[in-house]
Amino acid sequence: MKKINNIQSVFPILLFTAVVLSNACAKNRIDITEKMKDSIVYLRISHCGYEQYQPWKNSDITEGWSVGCAVSKNEVITTALNVANAVVIEAKRFGQNEFIPAKIKIVDYESNLALIELDPNALKKALVPLKFSAKYEKGAEVNCYWLSGILQIYSGRGYLDRATVDSSSGFCRTLNFVAANVSDLTGNGQLYCIGAEPLGIACWSNDKEAGIIPAEIINGFLEDAKDGSYNGTGAVGFTTTGLLDPALRKYLKLPQQIQDGVYVSDVYTIGTGSDVLKSGDVLVSIDGFELNSYGRYIHPKYDALLFDYLITGKTAGEKITFNIWRGGKKEKIKAIVKNFDVSKMLVPWYDLDSQPQYFIVGGCILQKLTKTYLAARGADWAGKVEPHIYNYLLNEAFKPTDERKEIIVLSYVLPANINLGYHGLDQLVVDSINGMKIGSMKDVPKAFALNPKAKYDLIEFELNQPKIVLDRAAMQPANLTIAKTYGIDKSVNISSE
Amino acid sequence: MKKTLFILIAFLSASVCTAELPDMSKSVVMIQIVKQGYDYTTPWKQQSTSGGVGSGFIIAGNRIITNAHNVSDNRYIIIKKENIAKKYPASVEFIGHDCDLALLKVYDPCFFDGTEPLGLGELPQVNSTVSTYGFPMGGTHISVTEGVVSRIQTDVYVHSGADAHLVVQTDAAINPGNSGGPVMQDGKVIGVAFQGLLAADNIGYLIPTTVIRHFLQDVNDGKYDGFGSIGVSLFAGLHNDSYYDYLKIPADTQGIIATSVMLNSSAEKVLQKDDCIIKIDDYDIDNDGMIMIYGTKHHMSEAIEQKQIGQKITLVYWRGGQKNTAELVIGLNRPIFDYSRLYDEQPRYVCFSGLTFVAASRNYLETWGRDWMQNIPHALRYLFSNSMQLNDDPLRKEYVILSEILPDQINTYADSFLTKPLESINDTPIRSLDDVKKAFENKDAEFYILKFMNSERPLPIEAKKAHQQNEIILKKYNVPTWAFLEQQI
Repeated sequence: MKKINNIQSVFPILLFTAVVLSNACAKNRIDITEKMKDSIVYLRISHCGYEQYQPWKNSDITEGWSVGCAVSKNEVITTALNVANAVVIEAKRFGQNEFIPAKIKIVDYESNLALIELDPNALKKALVPLKFSAKYEKGAEVNCYWLSGILQIYSGRGYLDRATVDSSSGFCRTLNFVAANVSDLTGNGQLYCIGAEPLGIACWSNDKEAGIIPAEIINGFLEDAKDGSYNGTGAVGFTTTGLLDPALRKYLKLPQQIQDGVYVSDVYTIGTGSDVLKSGDVLVSIDGFELNSYGRYIHPKYDALLFDYLITGKTAGEKITFNIWRGGKKEKIKAIVKNFDVSKMLVPWYDLDSQPQYFIVGGCILQKLTKTYLAARGADWAGKVEPHIYNYLLNEAFKPTDERKEIIVLSYVLPANINLGYHGLDQLVVDSINGMKIGSMKDVPKAFALNPKAKYDLIEFELNQPKIVLDRAAMQPANLTIAKTYGIDKSVNISSE
Repeated sequence: MKKTLFILIAFLSASVCTAELPDMSKSVVMIQIVKQGYDYTTPWKQQSTSGGVGSGFIIAGNRIITNAHNVSDNRYIIIKKENIAKKYPASVEFIGHDCDLALLKVYDPCFFDGTEPLGLGELPQVNSTVSTYGFPMGGTHISVTEGVVSRIQTDVYVHSGADAHLVVQTDAAINPGNSGGPVMQDGKVIGVAFQGLLAADNIGYLIPTTVIRHFLQDVNDGKYDGFGSIGVSLFAGLHNDSYYDYLKIPADTQGIIATSVMLNSSAEKVLQKDDCIIKIDDYDIDNDGMIMIYGTKHHMSEAIEQKQIGQKITLVYWRGGQKNTAELVIGLNRPIFDYSRLYDEQPRYVCFSGLTFVAASRNYLETWGRDWMQNIPHALRYLFSNSMQLNDDPLRKEYVILSEILPDQINTYADSFLTKPLESINDTPIRSLDDVKKAFENKDAEFYILKFMNSERPLPIEAKKAHQQNEIILKKYNVPTWAFLEQQI
């Protein structure tokens, strides 16, 4: 009986405490809805990319929206993914009913940020730029704000849970914050604040957590973009694995004083460190920050972070120092932070804002291999893609060479008389055309121009797949017929870069 | 259209009774089986037992013929005659998993008293009537269903999952339990019922007598060798004048193109890439790779299927504008990573310091479940799909995979290597499980340095510690022996 009484008496006290705390939190919360009216805009975006398996065709038009946060009188930032394949961007600001034409000034899928310029002539009142604060208070309440299409400012909240190094869009892992216990789904560039101070913009979200691109990344992006040319952040040019196994440490003859570090398991041909590191090196520290056996270092503000941020937190061209253990010796290696455009990868991880590169000849669709192309196979695409092609993505994507800059595949064959016998061939990696090794899309027209007196063109594929032999005399009329039959308005799209 | 075929063993099911057929009751038998397969990840263990019912029939020489899938991985077999209560224990005399046929012997010689062996007929005509006998869904009485022969073609035999032979398609109802039962025409067996098509109404398949006869001839010497091939990949793409011109083949010629020749195969020293094979023995090959045989067009492989392993076959082919003739010895010519399922034999393994190595097999891949082909790790999918093109090592016998880690302090950090194909130990290439055993038997090394395919990071194991822990681990996890390599590859 006593125990029951105790419980009954405790319960109201707990309830009272909860009410008091809740009221206290509400009182401490600073609502800046009013202030946001001049600093956040609603962006309506029409997207229209290309069909990956009919690359001459636009895909269906879709419409999306995102939040733009003012960084100047007529410029806003939002996430890069929200404006991917955008064909029309229009903005709405509080107090102005009509849409304001907008355009992308700079987009960077690695930091997942885009700078959008609003037509100053259509903007009735200048925006008030936000100043992003590099404040980081783990556990602090954060509020988020966005402007809806009907010009109402909404707000939500959550708690700043952690700083992490991850990728929300590209191949580079960089600094992100994660808000927990979020009240709303936010992944469209919503502005997150601690009190009245802008903290960052939302880049992904689920029903529990939201990712935030923090001020540090936003300010770096804006600083880089200030002079009109954008260098971009550093890209890691190698992969590592943990160095926990005492047997591996003993085998590598690591001295006792080196307790941590990571094993360099693969070195790319592009990116930071690709020119100085070797597979088998033990990476002990970067710029004086010691790496633990999981590849993490202690950041003075954010605690343990993945080492990638020591590279992706820098701008291309900056200096960097690696302390490594190589062949039983400690070495200090100075290098330059490098990055690369995604198009320079052997298999680009994304192909956005541009038409896929292809070349149609005799009904054979030859196409540049990209991850976007493969992902168009739909759900669980990785398990469906032909393993020889997938192998290029998985193991060779970051290893272009002078001889082989791109992988060209025969996507499939558009049936016609000229290609009778080859109709079932598809998803084959092109090895050579008319005897010339194919190392990029640009090689394709050059190879077809070879041997002008030959009677046929010869396409050979990897892994001893069947060859394709096409009659040159019949080619020109066949190309015209095929283009007409299959509604192809453009038979070639090869980047001039 | 993607076809889903099923095999027709009935798993201890409800009985459905049909009319009694006294003549056939002397020839058609019910087969009750208890099965138990192996665990292909930890091969010293066996899976749970399961029971099944299938059909069979008596042929000359006091033999019972049935499907291999009825009696594969069997632990106990009982034969029952219709209307007789007695159960006769039996065993497998010969089994051909590639052709889904088996011969059973009954221990009690009295079993055959009063029975009538069935004779084998020829390939039936399309649209002719056939009758199927057996014990569909179990039951106690023989069931008979009638239908017509819809077509005869080469198709995949589901039991092995990879081998393709001639099949007879019928619309006679064939259901689980019919497996192994005879399909009759004019008093003769024209096929053995064996599989059906799930996504269609009443499409069932029989193993024709051409395949049955091949199987019976094969076992005449006391062992089953299987169906052979010539070991060449072919492309039926000669439908284009330019291709003729490129290959320097006369315009009125028909044939099929060799795209690659398998390492160590019968064809390795005879054929080359881009050879155009126009004739196999006396059969002209058309541009679809078909020959006129048994009064109709079938795949050219049918000419090879008429022969046994070790017999010769003559090919006529064009190469570089020249017509050539060559003789090839038919061989097993299996890819280094065989597409076919394995049965009946305990998988070989090496389990050293908790690291369990098995030979790559389809059975191991199928442990990933129903959608295994999509779900298996990339390295395994790549090897399975392309081992013929990827393997350039003529000495390789198999790929070796780290299939399981029995946790212990010696292998705490080996998890990331699980499911990876092993490339070398202390720089010695690993071409078979025997190489793994040999490598670990060498106790002179300080470390065993294991390198895996597509992985730059090695897995070092301290040799002395590993040997110390090995016995402890084997005992802890009830592994009977650290290396089981009894079967020959």
